[in-house]
Formats: sequence, structure tokens, C-alpha cells
Amino acid sequence: MSIPSSSPERESATGVQLECPSSPPGLDADPPSTGSPVLSPDSSSHDAVLSAPAASPADSENLSPDELELLAKLEEQNRLLEADSKSMRSMSGSRRNSGSSLVSSSSASSNLSHLEEDTWILWGRIVNEWEEWRRKKDKLLKELIRKGIPHHFRAIVWQLLGNATDMPVKNQYSELLKMSSPCEKLIRRDIARTYPEHEFFKGQDSLGQEVLFNVMKAYSLVDREVGYCQGSAFIVGLLLMQMPEEEAFCVFVRLMQEYRLRELFKPSMAELGLCIYQFEYLLQEQLPELNVHFRSQSFHTSMYASSWFLTLFLTFLPLPVATRIFDIFMYEGLEIIFRVGLAILQYNQTDLIQLDMEGMSQHFQKVIPHQFDSCPDKLILRAYQVKYNPKRMKKLEKEYTTIKNKEMEEQIEIKRLRTENRLLKQRIETLEKESAALADRLIQGQVTRAQEAEENYVIKRELAVVRQQCNTASESLEKAQETIRELQQQTYTEQFVNNLQTQLEQSRLREAELLGALKEMQDKVLDLEKRSSCLPDENNLAALQEEVKQMKLRELETLRSFREMQDTVTDLNQRWQHHMSRSSSTGGGGGHWKESPKKNAMNELQDKLMTVRLREAQAQAELREVKLKALQLDSQNQIHSKLIGRHEQERSALQDRLQMVANQNKALQAQLNEMKRKQAESDCKSKEEVMAVRLREADSMAVMAELRQKIAELEIQKEEGLIKGQLNHSDSRQYISQLRDQIAELKNEVRQLRGQKAAPSSRIGCGGGSTNYQDLHLASPTSAEGDYLSSDEDLLNSPLPATALYPTLSDPCHPSTQLDSEGSTDSEAEERVQTHPDPQQLYSNMCLPFV
Amino acid sequence: METIWLYQFRLIVIGDSTVGKSCLIRRFTEGRFAQVSDPTVGVDFFSRLVEIEPGKRIKLQIWDTAGQERFRSITRAYYRNSVGGLLLFDITNRRSFQNVHNWLEEARSHVQPHSIVFLLVGHKCDLEAQRQVTQHEAEKLAGAYGMRYVETSARDAINVEKAFVDLTREIFELVRSGDIQIQDGWEGVKSGFVPNMVHSSEEVTKGSRQCFC
Repeated sequence: MSIPSSSPERESATGVQLECPSSPPGLDADPPSTGSPVLSPDSSSHDAVLSAPAASPADSENLSPDELELLAKLEEQNRLLEADSKSMRSMSGSRRNSGSSLVSSSSASSNLSHLEEDTWILWGRIVNEWEEWRRKKDKLLKELIRKGIPHHFRAIVWQLLGNATDMPVKNQYSELLKMSSPCEKLIRRDIARTYPEHEFFKGQDSLGQEVLFNVMKAYSLVDREVGYCQGSAFIVGLLLMQMPEEEAFCVFVRLMQEYRLRELFKPSMAELGLCIYQFEYLLQEQLPELNVHFRSQSFHTSMYASSWFLTLFLTFLPLPVATRIFDIFMYEGLEIIFRVGLAILQYNQTDLIQLDMEGMSQHFQKVIPHQFDSCPDKLILRAYQVKYNPKRMKKLEKEYTTIKNKEMEEQIEIKRLRTENRLLKQRIETLEKESAALADRLIQGQVTRAQEAEENYVIKRELAVVRQQCNTASESLEKAQETIRELQQQTYTEQFVNNLQTQLEQSRLREAELLGALKEMQDKVLDLEKRSSCLPDENNLAALQEEVKQMKLRELETLRSFREMQDTVTDLNQRWQHHMSRSSSTGGGGGHWKESPKKNAMNELQDKLMTVRLREAQAQAELREVKLKALQLDSQNQIHSKLIGRHEQERSALQDRLQMVANQNKALQAQLNEMKRKQAESDCKSKEEVMAVRLREADSMAVMAELRQKIAELEIQKEEGLIKGQLNHSDSRQYISQLRDQIAELKNEVRQLRGQKAAPSSRIGCGGGSTNYQDLHLASPTSAEGDYLSSDEDLLNSPLPATALYPTLSDPCHPSTQLDSEGSTDSEAEERVQTHPDPQQLYSNMCLPFV
Repeated sequence: METIWLYQFRLIVIGDSTVGKSCLIRRFTEGRFAQVSDPTVGVDFFSRLVEIEPGKRIKLQIWDTAGQERFRSITRAYYRNSVGGLLLFDITNRRSFQNVHNWLEEARSHVQPHSIVFLLVGHKCDLEAQRQVTQHEAEKLAGAYGMRYVETSARDAINVEKAFVDLTREIFELVRSGDIQIQDGWEGVKSGFVPNMVHSSEEVTKGSRQCFC
């Protein structure tokens, strides 16, 4: 289908009405309306219609007086209007000019006024013979309405179409006005914003605003659920432009009740969602490209279409066009809104596809509303070309309601599940707490049991130790008894006395040895004293010194004599020389004869000299000898003095030793004394020991008695323990049964919970909680059995290790656990204990560490 | 040539019926004040460019919503794709101030998993004589919810520009710091075509979105 490229503004400028319907000549759809120009079928059908009512005046006679009156009224009105339009040809002839402008403008030309007159006559007839028309010529009526209801007939036709002519609620109206509505404030705020440009509603406290407020308030009181919804005032406003407030109120009530409007305006606005859903479907079906474009621009349907449905185009299109649509709406309901909406989109498709979001928004706000100002018929024609399948729409409605219901259900379900979940969580929490408490108790019980076992074990060990002690004691007792017996037999004298005598002898020997050593020492001391006495003393020294002095004196003497001799030698020498010189002076040249006497004398003298010299040499040798002797003596003297010093030292050392020896002697003597004393003591002791042995014997006898008593006591304890064990056994049985009861309770609860959430349980994650309980109730009976086992059998002979209490716990596939999980009774449990695989073996295993 | 913008922010304007949402937006986008305007039935759409710094333009897409409670079924679909919001109340209507909390709750429950940077707007501040909500208590409330507060008048054009520009700046800073990230399938923030601009992709990929409402 092609869209005229000429802008609607230009079309409107021409002001030619005929152009619109004639533009799509080859269209099918509704043959009488679309196939021919607007006015021609009108007239033709008119004729056809006219024939029927005109030919039967009886029909008019059948009319009620009310209707007749109405008819008369209408006819009078028609006449008045006729005159009016003829004389003035103006659009402002009517108070509600906007709605009638179309009709007025179409009646502009005089040749059309005739047709208009015909239309009026026809509509007058229709109104008069409404029931008949509805019954017999409904299709024609539909066509006529699509062409537009003449302005002056709208009030009555709308009322008739809405079946709002005689409504009981009308009588309440005045009463309702006296009441006050909770929506009053909101209505009051919106009244000024409803058709603010329209003359009838212009200005505060205008008549229009007053009646609009009244109707809105009255309705909000009649229908408290809907109350007041923004947008509805425009519909009421339109009604008020045509009819008095009471009638408008009735029509509005009918519209709300019968035309889906109530659903649209309900607080949930669910119907609006449905309308948009249906509209989106039509859009997708018939304008897929535009739909894709809208989606890509995220231009939601609700952005433009919500006001279309809520105000029936009254806020979107100018009033004349919207009123035409409203005419059809009164007859056909919301369908026309879908059709017109789609027609508008179709008409603007090429423009819209090129625009972005802002552009489209602008286009919707500025361009589209005025596209059809001049030719509403074109829009309506296009609207009827839109494929609209009521069945399909019904189906969509169903779909939507199922979707919504599903959503609602889901939401309700979610809410319900949430609360349930919360409750279950709380339950789980409490149960977990309980189970934790139970587990605590269980563990505590096990711990105490383990402690008891430990204590038991300790006691047993102690017992064993005591036994051992007892054994050793009895052994030692026996020994003691033996010794006693021996002692009693031998009185132990000989060996002991012998022993003591040898000891005595030994000590005496030692004493003798010590005495010998002492004597030796004393001898030594004496010897040393002697030696020290024979050492040279001071007198000796003085003598020696004197000797040295004498030697020195002698030496001096010899020295002096030596000098004397030297003197004599020198004297002699001198004399000799003198003699020699004298002899030489006399005898010198004389001959030898002369000298011979002299020579004799000289020889003599020489001999004498020689002897002197000899004597001198002898003296000198003697002197030297003496000197040597002196030296020898001197050195001897020195050696002696040194010797003296050494002896002195020796002497002092010896004196020290002497003192030491004397001391030692003293100590030895003290030792000797001690030994003597000791000997006496040991003599005493031996006597005492004999006494002590006798005493010990008596003691051990007492101990033996005591031990016997103890053994008896322990035997009594053992007896008691046995009895206690049996008692414990019954206690634990009670405990087991208690635990079992609790477990059964918990199981019941769990089962109940499962039963409650039979269906939802798969959806809510409470599986974890229930498995917990299974774990718990699997664990508790096994431990109880462990208790049973521990209290079973001979406690004394079975020192249980702490771990032996949990054998079944560590073995999850133990047969008893499975049995128990099926909820067995106590007797069954007992049986089970008997049929328990091998408590004996288990028990022997437990004993192993002690064997 | 198309106007160049750095980012496109989508804002939603919410608040009770008749607090003046449409008038405020019209004043901002069209620069005029209509004495009366149709009540918004559903959702209306407006847009305008804002220059927050010389050369830095942000395109604002503004959603005008119906104030009446029953329209929330329609309007709640628009929270998800909004990055910022003006929460209006009428300073001459105490009830509308009391409903601020409800509006925040409504927004919060439908914006998941995203969040909206809200600005609290006390509207109709030209009607000082009829004031029912003091500036102090409004500021206190705004502070409690981590919002800024501004008083505006569409009639006298007081702070209208400031309200929108301040909110835009706040969002811009969060985008620049990486606290708000551009995401596919989310139309709250979109990056525009900007030649030779200091606007690296790093700025928008780091950090994560925080909850502001």
C-alpha cells in the first residue's frame, strides 16, 4: 500500500474532503464504505434506509411517548441547527465547536448542506427507531457511525450506544455530589489540566471544570476500587462537551463497566499491559520492520501507546479527529484504538524508520497529531484496512493472562517459597541447634564414658600394681619369715660374732700398723735431730774466721819479709855494682895480673851475689807458696761458710718436717682413738641390729596382715564394680532408649517437614538439612550400642581403651546402623545386640594392648 | 552534521503527581513554562545537550513519568536503563515530600542490578508563601540518602539549569572515575562519537558500579 507523499498540512490546506476517501480506490475490506466515495454510499444507503422507516409509519406510532418527545426535541434541534448553519456557516456556532467543526466545515458549501440535511434526517430516524436499527440494520448503522455521527446527535447516540439512557445510578448522582471522596484533592489538581485550551473548561471555576469535577468525584465514589485515574478525565470531559453532567456520568459509568475502561484504569492497570501486549503483537505481525527499528532504538510501545489506550487518542490527536474515533469506539469498543494506532504507525513507517529515538519522540509529539487534522476519514479508512482478528486478540488475551497469571503465580510462589524457605531455615536452625545440643550431649556422654573407661583402666593398672606389690610384699614377707626362721634356728651368733671379731682384728691390725708408722716417724725425727746437731755451728765458724785472720797476718808477715829481702837484694845489687865499678877503674888497662886479685874478690862477690840471689828466689818461692796457702785457706773458708749456710737451711727444713710428723702423729693418735670408739660403737650396733631385725620381723607380720585386708577390700571393690557395671548397663539402656525417643521425634519432624514440602522440597535447597538429620539419627544409635557394649561383660577383665567406644562410629556400613535407621523397637535392638557380629572378638581386640 | 557529544546519559524524573515534573523538564528542554499541561499518562520523552565543561557536551535523554501511583506498572520499566534521576517534590505539598522515601524504594527495587544517581529537587520554590517543607529538613533527608538537594522553580526558571547540569556533572565524574561503567545492553550511559578527545577507554573500563541510591 502506498502512502501519499504529500504532507497532511498541504492536504488540509486544500480543505477538500472528498480527496481522502477517494484516494484508495481499489481496496477491498468493507465494500460499502471503502469502495465508494464517502457521500455517495451515504446517499445510496440513505435511500435504501429511508425507504424502510418511511414506509412504516406504524413504527413511529409504536414509539413510547418518551421517545416521541425525544424525537420532537431532536427535530427541533435539527431545525435550529439547520437554520444556524445556513445563516452563519461558521464553526463557532456551537459551544462545543471543536467537535462539530468537521460537520460544520463539511457543510460549508451550499450543495453539501442538502446532504447534511439528509444525514440529519437519517440520524433523526435512527435515533427514533433505535431498537429496530440495532436489531435489523446494525451493519448499516456501523457504517454510518464510521462516517461520523453528526455533532448534534452525538449526545443521544452515545447514550444509546452505551445503553446509558436509563440507568438507576443516575438517581444517585445528586446524592453522590454531596459526599466527599478521598480522591477529591487529586481530581481537583487535574481538573485544571484537562482540556485547558478548550473554551468550556477554560478558567478557574468555569462551568466545565465544575461539572467535570462533579462527575469525576461521583464516579470515584461509585467505584471505589478504581477511584480516580489520571487520563479518565479527558473521556469525561469529551462526554461533558456533548451532554449534561448526569448523562455524561451515566455514559462514563457504562464505558467503565462495558468497554474495558474500568480494567484499564484499575490501580493495577493490568488491562493496559494487555492492550500493549496485543498492540505489540499486531505491530510485529503487520509492521515487522518498524517493530525491529523500535526495538533497536529501545523505543518501547508503552512510550507512545499507553496514552492512546488510556485517553482514547483524546490527548494525542486534535479533538475533531479524536471525537470521530470516539464515535466508533462507542460502537465497536477498543478495537478501533488498535486499528487507528496501527494505521498511524503504518502511515508514518517510512519516516519513523529513518529517525532515532529523539527524532521519533519528536515525530510523535509534533508531527503525527496533526497529520489528519483535515481528513479524519483518511485515518479511519486506513484504520479499517488494518487487519484485526478478534479471535486472535482473544487468544492473545488468554496468552497474556496466562503469562501474567504465571508471573503472578510465580511471584506468589516465590513469595510463598521465600517465606516458607525462611520458616524452614528457622526450623532448620532450631533443629540444628537441637541436634547440636544432642550431639553435644552425645559427645559428652561418650567423653564421660571414655573418661570412665580411662579411670577404669587406671584403676585396673593400679590394681595390677597393687597386686604386684602384694606379691613382692608377700615374697619379701616369706623371705623375712625365712630369715626369722633362720634366725630363730641359729640365733645368728657364730657367723656374726666371727665377722665382728675379724673386724675387730682388722682394726687392731691397723692400729698396730699405725703405731709402727708412728715409731718410725719418731726415729726419723730423732735421726734428723742428730744430724742437725752434728752440723758445724757458730763456734766452728768463729774459729775458722780466726784462722783466716791468722793466715792473713802470716801472709802479711811473709810479705814484709819478702820486702825486706827485696831490699837486701837491691842493697846487694847496689854494692855489687859499686864493687864492680871500683874494680874496673883500678884494673882497667893494667893487665890481667893486676886484676886477678880483684878477680878473685869479684868472683867471690859474684858467688855471694849468686847465693843471695838464690836465697832471694827461694824466699820468693816460699812467699808464693805461702800466698797459695793463704788463697787455699781463703777458698776453704768460703766453702765452709757456704756449707754452714746449707746446713742451716737443712736444719730448718728438718725442723718443719719434725713438726709435721709430730702433727701426723697427733692425728694418728686421734684416729686411733676414733677407731677405738668406733669399735665400741659397732659392738653396740650389732646388738641393736639384732634388735631391729626382730622388730622388722614383727612389722612385716603386721604388713602381711594389712595386705591381706587390702586384698579382701579389693575383692569387695571388684564385687562392687561388677554390681555397678550392671547398674550402669541399665542406665545406659535408659539413655539409649531416651536418645532413641528423641531420634524418633526428630525423624517424625523431618518426615513432617518432608511431607509439608513434598512438592517444593525439590526446589528449595533443604535437602542438606534433612541429610543432617539422617546423619544424626544414624550416629546416635550406634553410639548407644557402643555404650551398651562398654557396659557389657566383665569390667575388671576388660580394660577398654577409649577408642574402643567408637568402633561402630567409625564403621558407617555397620549392619546395625542400617537396621536402626529403619526405626526398630527396643526389643529388636536387644536382639540385634545378641546377633551383633562378634562383641567377644571386638572385646578381645580391645584387650589386646594389655595382653 | 550531527551534534558531537561525549556521553549520553539517560535520566528519569519521578515524584508525586502534580509536583511539576513535566513543567520542569519542559522548562529545561524547551525553555518555556506552560501554565497548564496535560497530566502525563504513562511516559514522555525529552532530550537536550548540556555543556558541562567547555567543549564537553553531554546528551541527556530525559524520561518524564506519570506521578499517579497506578502508573508505576508502566513507569517502573524505565528505571533499569536510567543512570540518573531527579526526584521531585513540591515544597508547598508536604505529602509529596513524605513520599520521597517511597519513590526511592520503588526505584531501588526496580533498578537492579544497576543503580541510579539521584538528585532531590524541591520544586515550586517561587511559592515561598505556601511553603510546607523547609530547606533544612529537605537537605537533611537528602543527606540521609546520599543525595544532593536543590530547590527549583520552573515558573521563574530558578535553578532549573543548575539541577540538571549538577546531576550531569556528578554522573560524569562517576563515569570518569570508573565507578559507573558503560555496559552492553544497558542504556544508562552511552559513549558518543568524539574525535580527538581526551576520553580513553580506560576511563570507562576500570572500577565497578556502586550503589548510590
